[in-house]
Amino acid sequence: MRDLPKSRDLLGLARELLLGELLPLLPPERARDAHLIATTMAIAAREAAGGEGWQAEIGGLLGELYDEGSSLRRLAADLRNGAFETSPSHAAAARAILWLLTIEKLREGNPHFLAANGFIRAGLKGE
Amino acid sequence: MAATALPRSEAGPADRQRALARFLAEASGAGAVEIARIALLPGGAIQENWAIDGEFDGGRLAGAQRLVLRTDAATGVPSSLGRVEEFAVLQAAFAAGLTVPEPLFACADPAVLGKPFFVMRRVSGSALGRPITLDPGLEAARPAIAERLGRELARLQTIRPPRDDLAFLPSYDGPVGQITGFRAYLDRHPNPRPVLEWALRWAETNLPDKLPPVLCHRDFRTGNYLLEGTQLTAILDWEFAGWGDPDEDIGWLCCKGWRFGRLDREAGGIAERAPFYRGYESESGRRLDPERVKFWEIFANIRWAVIALQQSDRYLIGGARSLSTAITGRRATECELELLMLLDPDGARKRIATGA
Repeated sequence: MRDLPKSRDLLGLARELLLGELLPLLPPERARDAHLIATTMAIAAREAAGGEGWQAEIGGLLGELYDEGSSLRRLAADLRNGAFETSPSHAAAARAILWLLTIEKLREGNPHFLAANGFIRAGLKGE
Repeated sequence: MAATALPRSEAGPADRQRALARFLAEASGAGAVEIARIALLPGGAIQENWAIDGEFDGGRLAGAQRLVLRTDAATGVPSSLGRVEEFAVLQAAFAAGLTVPEPLFACADPAVLGKPFFVMRRVSGSALGRPITLDPGLEAARPAIAERLGRELARLQTIRPPRDDLAFLPSYDGPVGQITGFRAYLDRHPNPRPVLEWALRWAETNLPDKLPPVLCHRDFRTGNYLLEGTQLTAILDWEFAGWGDPDEDIGWLCCKGWRFGRLDREAGGIAERAPFYRGYESESGRRLDPERVKFWEIFANIRWAVIALQQSDRYLIGGARSLSTAITGRRATECELELLMLLDPDGARKRIATGA
């Protein structure tokens, strides 16, 4: 329903304009601000493109861990209390959620950090 | 360097500059002080640092002086010292022989500039993290810099409680109090952080043996020391200092968040751990225990994550209209990845091998 070009594409063009044409015109002490804006635009574009898929996946894993009333907040509370420490299978299931949550957030927020830590395909998928 | 007017108060910039000149004259015993230049220095998310060039007519600083005035930024983060207390810590560090700017005067009277401040000598050098970790010209000197930092840290730890001059610092009885504080913060945070909760649980159940407390800088890292060429000229930013565990600052400097593009150099992005540890061990006479350091490195990642979230709170709750501040909270997830890698190395290997 929305008009074209897509917002993700517009953000990409805007970022190119900022870094390619405006940044050289800025005084050096404002260069960091320009990079910060470019980073913010890149995060917004990746989040817009990423959709809700990984969040649904996490919801599914939480649903497998808990019979009812699953939520990240409950998982956090249970981890605080050591609730899975007597059940290796539950502990492994909880860790799988933590990994997925963290990798997917970084895939959108800072894929280069993922790549720098060796998660190359995880980091740069969709780049 | 755009700002040239001193911190806000009900008085105007010219009045504040006159008030500062009067304060400096009185504090130094000068007949008068003429301020030639005032400029806000870059950096300082929590504090403001102002370069002051002044001419002192007599007194203990007679002649031209290059100074820094340090005062609070508009919004701070919890757990940072007040400026008068930070001044006392800086005095103690200076007296212990650390490489720090000489502390000169502190002022608690809000009538002068509208908020407390202190004045120290201005030291040459740059603290920018990436040039320090990435400049090829520093390549050969980096191990020696790391070793020097280890020696400085050992010297800092000669300052131990009780100290009348540092009586305002809270007593220290291990990291449990800090863990409780982090959990209380997370309870108030709108988004659950299960990775941090898992790491806090690990910390709570893997507490290191207690060692006698020492003075910790609590932000001892690349980005908070000045280099002039290859020489360390000053350790800066003492606002988080307090009594703590001797390995807390070691873990903080080695924490991945402070490696500025050189993740492979585990001592602050500048060197392997060995020269840093060697400098510390030779100066302190205490051998470092890798398991204790690991605990404090995990703790550092938790703490840095919480501080990053608190920075975003300055926008989310405090209303500070700063992109730099608002986006810092995103870095908490980087700390969480590192926590997972440290606490679940098998899980990390598996995901790296399979492309997650």
